[in-house]
Amino acid sequence: MEDSKKIKNIIQALGEHQDSKAAIEVLTELGTNSPDDEIREMTAQTLIKKNTHESLRVVLISKGKGINDLSARVAMASINELLSLKDKTEAIKILDDTIKLHSDEEVRNTARSVRALMTFSA
Amino acid sequence: MQIGKLNLQRTNTVQNTTAQKKGNTNKLTTNPFGVSFKGNVIQADVFVNEKVNKDKNSNGIVEKSKLFASAVVSGINNFNESFKSRINSIVSFGKKITTDVCDSLERIGNTEISFDMEGIKNKLFPDRQYSVKNLSKQPVEDLKTMWQELTPEETENETETEENAA
Repeated sequence: MEDSKKIKNIIQALGEHQDSKAAIEVLTELGTNSPDDEIREMTAQTLIKKNTHESLRVVLISKGKGINDLSARVAMASINELLSLKDKTEAIKILDDTIKLHSDEEVRNTARSVRALMTFSA
Repeated sequence: MQIGKLNLQRTNTVQNTTAQKKGNTNKLTTNPFGVSFKGNVIQADVFVNEKVNKDKNSNGIVEKSKLFASAVVSGINNFNESFKSRINSIVSFGKKITTDVCDSLERIGNTEISFDMEGIKNKLFPDRQYSVKNLSKQPVEDLKTMWQELTPEETENETETEENAA
């Protein structure tokens, strides 16, 4: 088995892990900072699937992570995952707060765009 | 009359003594050494037969038959000895095997056999360790170390950049 496949399995296992808080910390620390686009993409999708306040904050607010990632592939995959969520309440709440309160304009603009997409898709 | 009686008695006593003497002489002839044996007397003729058979051919045949008989007897003895030695060696070999088997059985009885089934499974199926099902059962810290082991260069670069930034 290749190392990338092993890492993907670890990410998937962390997504299903009972210790959600610790798993999110590891995903944020190692996954979102990975130089591999594929790993970052999968990490963002896993964090969004968790659909908790802590996991969604990482991919919606943090600069260079999730929907704000410099890689279009990672950003688009994160947006698609957000749109496919059944319960979008928490994600919309965080996006609204970001649009209102975030200091970085680029982050605010991205949040606004995603918020609009979610409104249309709902 | 009395004189006549006396003569008769005397003659009778003389006759008795002579008869007794004759009996003694007969005994002496059967036992020429005059020694009486209390135990068993050898009945066989122990003396050398004076009538020597001078026929050489018959002597040779007898000697040959004796030699043959002695050879047969010695052969039987040798066979018995070799058979006994072989039997003894077989018996000792069997005893050794039984003792060895007993010792090994005791050792087997005393030894505790334990199998590290997880280790064996991981060796037989190396990818099994990294299956999602197994990984999700492990603690998060272990998963973190496993991830870091799989990407040693990345973690080193991260630490270097952190140090430079500081």
